[in-house]
Amino acid sequence: LFQGVRQAQWLTKTKLVQGLPPSVLRVIDNPAHRLEDHEEGVKRAISHARLWNTTEVAPRREHYCPVLFEDLIHLCRLMSMKYPSLTKRMLARNYKISATWERESILLQVRGLNGILMNSMAPIPPVASKEEILATEEHVLETFYPISPTIDLQEVNVYKELNDTGFRDGYPYSHPHTLFFLESANIRPNRFRPEQLRAKMLMFAFGNALAKAKVLYGNDPKVLEQPIVVQSVGTDGQLFQFMVFQLNTTDLVSSDGIKNLVWIDSDQNLYEKAQCIPEVKKRVVTKPAGIYGFQPDTFKKFLALYLHGTV
Amino acid sequence: MAASRGRRLLWHGRRWFSQTESAVPPQPPDSLYPPIVASATAKSKAAKRRRLEHFNQRVHAAASIEEKLRLYGQLQRPKYMLYPQTFALNADRWYRSFTKTVFVPGLPPRAASAAAEAPGAVAPEAAKTPEGAAGVAPEAARAPEPGTAAPGAAKTPELAAGAAACLDMGELRSLACDALLQESFYQNKKRPFLYRDQDHTPGPFLTQLVSTLAAFLCGRNPLLAASCLDLKPEVNFYWHHGEEVVVHGHRKGRVDPVRFQIDDKPHLQIRVPKQLPEIVPLESDLGDVPVIDHKPSKLPLFKKQYENKVFTGSKVADPCCYGHTQFHLIPDKLKRERFVRVNLEDQIEVLYRANGIASLFAWTAAQAMYQGFWNEADVTRPFVSQAVVTDGKYFAFFCYQLNTLALTVETIQNNPRKNICWGTDSKPLYDVVEDGSVKGFNDEVLLQLVRFLLNRPKEL
Repeated sequence: LFQGVRQAQWLTKTKLVQGLPPSVLRVIDNPAHRLEDHEEGVKRAISHARLWNTTEVAPRREHYCPVLFEDLIHLCRLMSMKYPSLTKRMLARNYKISATWERESILLQVRGLNGILMNSMAPIPPVASKEEILATEEHVLETFYPISPTIDLQEVNVYKELNDTGFRDGYPYSHPHTLFFLESANIRPNRFRPEQLRAKMLMFAFGNALAKAKVLYGNDPKVLEQPIVVQSVGTDGQLFQFMVFQLNTTDLVSSDGIKNLVWIDSDQNLYEKAQCIPEVKKRVVTKPAGIYGFQPDTFKKFLALYLHGTV
Repeated sequence: MAASRGRRLLWHGRRWFSQTESAVPPQPPDSLYPPIVASATAKSKAAKRRRLEHFNQRVHAAASIEEKLRLYGQLQRPKYMLYPQTFALNADRWYRSFTKTVFVPGLPPRAASAAAEAPGAVAPEAAKTPEGAAGVAPEAARAPEPGTAAPGAAKTPELAAGAAACLDMGELRSLACDALLQESFYQNKKRPFLYRDQDHTPGPFLTQLVSTLAAFLCGRNPLLAASCLDLKPEVNFYWHHGEEVVVHGHRKGRVDPVRFQIDDKPHLQIRVPKQLPEIVPLESDLGDVPVIDHKPSKLPLFKKQYENKVFTGSKVADPCCYGHTQFHLIPDKLKRERFVRVNLEDQIEVLYRANGIASLFAWTAAQAMYQGFWNEADVTRPFVSQAVVTDGKYFAFFCYQLNTLALTVETIQNNPRKNICWGTDSKPLYDVVEDGSVKGFNDEVLLQLVRFLLNRPKEL
């Protein structure tokens, strides 16, 4: 997407709020969760992914990015010792989503394999209060005239307007909880830049929420009584983008009325540098091998997003 | 005559080493001459022994484990590549002879300690002696099939054992069924790619099952809480066993050790920071190692020369350096139907056994090498690991205890120790998945898997 998040906002009729929503911040700040204990484990996970994972000297990004993600999810899953309801979650890889909607007489759709989805049995409770939702009515969506909002979107002839969550009816873990995006291509041009990654996260979170809304409430455009919340985390192995999306309305044809809300926390570094071989200048080791610049807050946010909805 | 000091040139491998004679300690009064030893560069057996001893001393004196491993695998020569998943007939006998392993059918009775956690109704099954894993009798009160649209509601009546710490079979069963149903039924997937059926459903199912079970059981097993889960890691091991005469080439006629290398890629592996307890004492003898008179290439095994790797799944610096459980997925090429089609049903179990023995030997031996042991410095404590070999529906469980690494010609002569592998036959976890429910779910296989995951050292 050319304009990044601003374009995605117009396409999905969303208002942006910087930073994470208060309910997630409450999870982070709650001392009962003792998120500090996991620092050791997180450092070990980063070292494992970036340094120790392979017989070669340094693993490449398409190797270490998924490994880091798996290790972090393993750490989060081990929290189900304390919170038994966390076992009611299931990861789905390689699942396909399709959602269609109309936006000021342009038919848009989101389709295909996107990322890794975590489903849960219970939906996340709405993050924004009723007043905030009503307040979005006055917010005006940014347009970037003269650039059309659908620039650099692929135009496709669609014969079936599909709305599919990717799972059949009767699936017990029916509520999409968090979407994970791993930018693990080795070459930089093949990876999404942070801005575009955030836009992709927004589009797919919206697609998932919309498909779920259509399943729950039918195809008629309307304002939702119970807003649907879908979270999203995107990373390239070092930089993390966190996003919480709340779908308030499926009435997307017009540009006024109640808008959807999204909270974005962008460009969180988990660590500054991972030195695989010690840096040696003039036969003296200046920087021994290891992880530098570890920031525990990023993992706290990751864990908070994971625990959100069950604590 | 004073001891002569000077530079000496040593030929080792393909390099010349320059070595100054180290300062000789004061001569004992009865000898005025330096010790008379064989030459180090002559083309003689004594010289070869001296060079070998020098090499052994270098490895013993290596500063760090990485240096030791580097020296151990420094010399590259053609070696046999052993594949744990192989279609070769009776491969498990050959692999047992290469790795000096005794195979004991059934699982060891140490599972009785973990069974103390299991509910009372399952205790008779746990107290069963380890011979009857195949053809196991179903439990008296098996639960009705779960229609898992409402998981967690299937708390079965057989859990009436009032122990507070009893395992909730209903919960476990629902987790397993959920994972199975999601992968095979609920998720909308395209048709599987040609000959890639295993990546389509059983692979993701195994990953889901193990990760959810590990998370569920980490409350009971603190070892799991500190564990590391690897997806598709690499496990390599290189060793010498036996002797042969070089057949052709510029080294023709020389006597060489037979070199083997295993390069394995398990589907999933759990590594832990503490070692699993030993199953039987180090010097136990539970059977015989088969002796095979043919050359290894008759199996068929082929030789190649490449890097001699020793790797457990992550480097030496990782604190989780001991292994807990590996999970192997049988590829499409070695499906059961293919064996049945060519009238080789008995080889199905051979495949599972060969996979278990070879993969576990490589893993435990690599773990031992990470602790500094090698064939001249044999292990002082046994290394234990477990494995589950499956093709998505049929599960076979294996337990391996590494008692010795000394498999080369010189070291095997006075070595009474043998490695031991316990294993079961493959049993189905379920019969069929139809219309959103699992038919014929086998609780015992799940229980065995849970017991494997709960295995931990005594002090935890």
